[in-house]
Amino acid sequence: MTLADARARCPELVTTPEDPARTAAALERVLVALSRFTPVVAADPPDGALLDMTGCAHLFGGEAALLRILAEEMTRLGHAPRTAFAANAAAARALARHGAHGGGDIRALPVAALEPPAETLVALRRAGLATLGDLAARPAPALAARFGEGLVLRLRQLLGEVAAPLVPRGHAAPLRAEERFPEPVARTDDVLDVAEDLLRRLGRDMEERRLGGRRFVVTLCRADGARRRLAVETGRPTRDPAPVMRLLRERIESLADPLDPGFGYDSVALAITRSEPLSPHQIGLEQGKEAVDDSIAALVDRLAVRLGPEAVYRLVPANRHLPEVAQAALPLAQGAPGRAASFAARLGESPPRPLCLFDPPQPVEVIAGVPDGPPLRFRWRGHLFAVRLAEGPERIAAEWWRHEGAHSGNLAGHPENGALTRDYYRVEDREGRRWWLFRHGLHAEQAHPQWYLHGQFP
Amino acid sequence: MSGQTTDGAFFAEPVAASNFSFLAGASHPGEMVGRAHALGLAGLGLADRNTVAGVVRAHKAWQEVGGAKGALRLIVGARLVFADGTPDVVVYPRTRHGWGRLTRLLTLGNRRVEKGQCHLTLPDLLDHAQDMALIAMDGDAALLATLRETGQPLWRAARMPRAGRDARRLAQAMALARESGVPLIATNDPLFAGPEDRPLHDVLTAIRLGQTVQTAGRALAANAERHLKPPAEMARLFARCPEALAATRDLLDAVRFTLPELAYEYPHEPVPEGWSPQDWLEHLVREGGRSWFPAGLPEAYERTLAEELTLIAKCNYAFYFLTVHDIVRHARSLDPPILCQGRGSAANSLVCYFLGITPIDPVKEKLLFSRFLSEQRNEPPDIDVDFEHERREEVIQYIYQRYGRERAGIAATVIHYRPRSAIREVGKALGFSEDITARVSGTIWGHWGGSRLPPERLDEAGFDPDSPEMLRLRDLVGRILEFPRHLSQHVGGFILTQGRLDEIVPIHNGAMEDRTFIEWDKDDIEELGLMKVDVLALGMLTCIRKAFDLLRGHGLGDYTLATVPREDRATYAMLQTGDSIGTFQVESRAQIAMLPRMKPKELYDLVIQVAIVRPGPIQGGMVHPYLRRRNGEEKVEFPGPPDNPDELKEVLGKTLGVPLFQEQAMKLAIVAAGFTPGDADGLRRAMATFRHMGTVGHYQDKLISGMVRRGYPQDFAERCFEQIKGFGEYGFPESHAQAFGWLAYVSSWLKCHWPAAFTCALLNSQPMGFYAPAQLVRDARDHGVQVHCIDVNASEWNSTLEPSPLPAKGEVGGEVGGGVSRARDHALRLGLRQIDHFREAWAEALVAARQDGPFASLEDLARRAALPPRALSLLADADALGSLALTRREAGWDVRRVPPRQLSLFDAMAAPELAAEPDAALPPMPLAEEVVADYQTQRLSLKGHPMQFLRARLARRGILSCAEVNAAKDGAKVRTAGVVLIRQRPGKGNALFITLEDETGIVNALMWARDFEQQRRAVMAARLMVIDGEIQRSKEGVVHLMVKTVHDATRLLGELAAGEHCEPELARGDAIKHPAASPNPGRHPRNVRILPRSRDFH
Repeated sequence: MTLADARARCPELVTTPEDPARTAAALERVLVALSRFTPVVAADPPDGALLDMTGCAHLFGGEAALLRILAEEMTRLGHAPRTAFAANAAAARALARHGAHGGGDIRALPVAALEPPAETLVALRRAGLATLGDLAARPAPALAARFGEGLVLRLRQLLGEVAAPLVPRGHAAPLRAEERFPEPVARTDDVLDVAEDLLRRLGRDMEERRLGGRRFVVTLCRADGARRRLAVETGRPTRDPAPVMRLLRERIESLADPLDPGFGYDSVALAITRSEPLSPHQIGLEQGKEAVDDSIAALVDRLAVRLGPEAVYRLVPANRHLPEVAQAALPLAQGAPGRAASFAARLGESPPRPLCLFDPPQPVEVIAGVPDGPPLRFRWRGHLFAVRLAEGPERIAAEWWRHEGAHSGNLAGHPENGALTRDYYRVEDREGRRWWLFRHGLHAEQAHPQWYLHGQFP
Repeated sequence: MSGQTTDGAFFAEPVAASNFSFLAGASHPGEMVGRAHALGLAGLGLADRNTVAGVVRAHKAWQEVGGAKGALRLIVGARLVFADGTPDVVVYPRTRHGWGRLTRLLTLGNRRVEKGQCHLTLPDLLDHAQDMALIAMDGDAALLATLRETGQPLWRAARMPRAGRDARRLAQAMALARESGVPLIATNDPLFAGPEDRPLHDVLTAIRLGQTVQTAGRALAANAERHLKPPAEMARLFARCPEALAATRDLLDAVRFTLPELAYEYPHEPVPEGWSPQDWLEHLVREGGRSWFPAGLPEAYERTLAEELTLIAKCNYAFYFLTVHDIVRHARSLDPPILCQGRGSAANSLVCYFLGITPIDPVKEKLLFSRFLSEQRNEPPDIDVDFEHERREEVIQYIYQRYGRERAGIAATVIHYRPRSAIREVGKALGFSEDITARVSGTIWGHWGGSRLPPERLDEAGFDPDSPEMLRLRDLVGRILEFPRHLSQHVGGFILTQGRLDEIVPIHNGAMEDRTFIEWDKDDIEELGLMKVDVLALGMLTCIRKAFDLLRGHGLGDYTLATVPREDRATYAMLQTGDSIGTFQVESRAQIAMLPRMKPKELYDLVIQVAIVRPGPIQGGMVHPYLRRRNGEEKVEFPGPPDNPDELKEVLGKTLGVPLFQEQAMKLAIVAAGFTPGDADGLRRAMATFRHMGTVGHYQDKLISGMVRRGYPQDFAERCFEQIKGFGEYGFPESHAQAFGWLAYVSSWLKCHWPAAFTCALLNSQPMGFYAPAQLVRDARDHGVQVHCIDVNASEWNSTLEPSPLPAKGEVGGEVGGGVSRARDHALRLGLRQIDHFREAWAEALVAARQDGPFASLEDLARRAALPPRALSLLADADALGSLALTRREAGWDVRRVPPRQLSLFDAMAAPELAAEPDAALPPMPLAEEVVADYQTQRLSLKGHPMQFLRARLARRGILSCAEVNAAKDGAKVRTAGVVLIRQRPGKGNALFITLEDETGIVNALMWARDFEQQRRAVMAARLMVIDGEIQRSKEGVVHLMVKTVHDATRLLGELAAGEHCEPELARGDAIKHPAASPNPGRHPRNVRILPRSRDFH
């Protein structure tokens, strides 16, 4: 059925485009939820799960009760489950997808349960073979000669004559390592050396899994039972112990209450609580180090550790004409430092913008030519500035789509909704100071436009 | 100098774009011209991006604001956008020769790349730069030096775009100008007419970039400055560089070319040496006339002919008629000849009739020649010719070959934004999700009245029409409507020239191979007085030709379009009963319902029937007055002025006082309101376009006051006008109805006397017409035609006629009025083309192999015809192996055992013989499944109808068959069921027509729109529908079922497909209980379509 068909039938239909990634993520969540029933859970993409309940069903009060609990659990998660039990996974799957609720006779299933190609399905129906039982009653060679060995194999799997092994979903062990000391270790530096060893060990684990750590948590356990957790984050995934140790030391130095070893440390544990995919790097022959230039990233990490991540901002270009919104300062925590093109490349050629923008723009009194002459002099905070040189205007219109009533092509808009055009001028006063002023509203839009001082050039 | 404003400023905008710079310009060419005129500009240069597609419209608008006599000069050219990084150069042809260079340059760029693009480089321009004026929009001294070498007048553009550094830029440009010696020319480089167009321009930019206005950011213009500015404003901007303003005057002085200089010459080919075209035309016409009147032309004909020929000579149109005649003559000279026939207003001309272009005798039918050609109109004639749809390509290629691609091209069709596309694209650009725009556009049933999206519709769809977002959408959609979106090729309008076509207009590559089209559409062509021949395709001509061939091939008679017996009583008797499935034009449900009321007795009745059962006359309320008068229930009156009380009888007599045809409206205006023929033609044009132009009001006053002045009652005059207005846009010229009426008659005659051959021809001409093969075959069988199933030992690719060995017993079904039917002489054998996915090449191989004798077995067939396994399994599944003593089930089982690939010779020798197999003991196939399989493979079944297998169950639920419904009493409350053939919501959409079919016949149901909305899901989804309703029987016996409720019973069909029919308890009902969870929706056998799709609206 096409979407147009569907809409013709049901105009209030709500649709969203299919998103395989989200579906897969949802399935993954379901699998995690299902792992409370049995350790052997396998995915049946895009929307199925296979559970090996051998020896587990009694824990939930038998098969029937298990199915009920399962259904409740899935319903709670917002899914509409169809479930079935059978002696083997293939049969259970077929029953759930093609059969009666909760089980039934595998031989009574329609041939569609084999999920053959459409053409084969039609041919089977034309031959009068409606159910798996009908197929099973025919000589297998005759079926194989017509519909391929695959169909026969599939049939035999469903009937349990051939094993169809289940590939359970893998469990990734957490990235965690611990070292216990036979005697308490008193010196923090010694403990940190051990932590570095742990980092190196986990680095090898991560390399195998093609991961890099973003958040590292070191837990120091003192002999008297007190625990101290130190967490550092890196701006990009890494497996290299050195930068992490550097950050860790930075962190320790900047602690408000310094580390107190007391009677010494019992053990030290390292957990990597956030990791991201990271391909293996080519290691340079001579240094044996990963040759990646990440000095900026390292600086950002150090600043974040020193000052706290909330104190570090990045400037990102925003694709807007209006100067005050043409860039945004994002806290470091929001998003990775992009490999985006530089500011200039993003913005293209445009007239210069002052580094210092007044927020909000400062209202000023201006003497200027009508209709769009440059300012001749302006008064700001009681001072009079005489303009010696001026360039402009640079005309920037309001973003009509953000303003009510500005849609109808009425450029003038309404004064109260701010949909006014601005004329920007670069001016230099007699003292050589350079200012950025704008007239808010063309004369066609406003009888007496207000002027603002928006910035100062260095 | 004109154009000088009071404050003395002089300015002509040299570089204006229109919306033919697709998705860049935001105003129509006419709007640009109109605004330029209103602002007092001295001139306007229209230059769209690599195209001149908009110049004719601009020219037309320019004529309307005074043309050459007005204050505004219009110069036309193009803005060349180069693929090699050269800055844009605007070029204006200074002379006719320069125009030819420009169009050839653009043609060169167009033909290099795929449709819709243009690839040009700077050297191309240098090659073509003759008699042009050039403006470099940007560029350094080197580019200017290069361009100067062309020796053409050259300027460099200077702009003040309000981008911050204008003054600095201008100073740099002035320095460059001093240095290079190339003067500056001031321009605002406008993309739209006024600043109010900025939002629209932003939306167009967003559409072009595939973004939304919110995300497009700096890709949108920073301000609204790129509009046409008045001279005073430009003078202020360029105060430091007045010479740039003055340069615009130099540009206007340099460019003298105007579009009317495209003096046009018809092709000279078809005239033999020593003849003048007019003499040769007269010679041909006289010869043609002699074949109709061997004894010499009657006086009335002589007079008409002399009148037409004089006008043709005066307007110098002889070449045009000769060209069309040449094309028609060529089509008829082929072996086998291609049937063709002129349609439209050309049938008003006796010259066309005598040349054999049209089939209608205009003198006998009293047709109005001035509808076709008039001196006042001063526009070229327009002849449309229909050809057999399967062979039109031959005609097209003949034209290309005869005139060459330099001289022949297809006209463009400008694809405009329509409500749906406008909502979708504007909505997307405004950031609406596709879901929302789909829902908004889903509320549109075609055009809405004005240019704004009607708020009620939005309300219905659950949106607040006054929310800012919706206001924006409504406003912008209204403004983008009718914007050109891209160029496409016209269906068959050819432009032919004597000189090079590419020196008149640029040529583009068509999407189809071997097609080229020009970038002007038919209105532009008409405006410039270029000649166009419409080479159209008509399926019915193919069908009629095939039917004639069949008759001739089987020795049943030799007919041509012209020699079919006229006014055959049996044919009319058949039509009077509404028996017209398969015929031309009178086969739709509405036509069938009308036939018993019209009771056509002669050809002219069919002509009226063709014209009257159309949306225009139906909405104009003409049908009922006409029928009442025809049936003598209402007096036919012709009010008239005292001095000549009968004058209208002459005009409206043929149609009993109801104006039906465009000619009648024109004659009425001339006779009763004293219009000149030119005025009358203006009225006709206004009628055709009044919906969106609103130009008809002027004629309304003129017509009514004219009639009243001459002594007609006011109310009669008003009624006349309302009727004319009613059919306006949909009206036919009478000549067109005549041409179509004749085809309707010929097809009806074939159906009446040769149903087997006619059905066979219809099947072989598919797809065409209103009905699917299943209904055509069923109708033929109802008329006593024996239809044989597809069989490998009898069928060819096409359906064929077979001599029928046994006269069918007592089968005279459908015989009417004593017509002698030859239906029993020949049976219809279905062809292999009825099998879905079967290929013609396989059929040819099969038929060729059959020459050596019939196939004896499946192996024999596979070996001799060397068909691939897929072809064999298609044949088996279509039950086409009956003569090999194989049932469908056995055949399907056996055929799939054949190895899936052709073995090479040595492999085949080594391969083991197919071993004997144990019997698979397949269950026999029940009849219901056979029928379903027939429908699945060939969309029709000779074995039965799916509904018959459900009959017992349906009957238990009190459901009547279609036949029982049609026999029920007026007012009876009934419940019936059937497969949905048609869902239609015509015209304004107050009513919905549903046609159901079962094994006994069909039922026509009618549902009111308000009921539909409540039951929409069932109505739209059902393929098998159960309807409760009330019988409404007209006095002519036409039965309609007025729908009360609708149920969707499609489920029952699904059970047939699964072979589980007629079982009260379903063996595996679970598959039905949980239909939503199927992993492969659409592939599940339950969902396999049993019946072909119904014909639906959406």
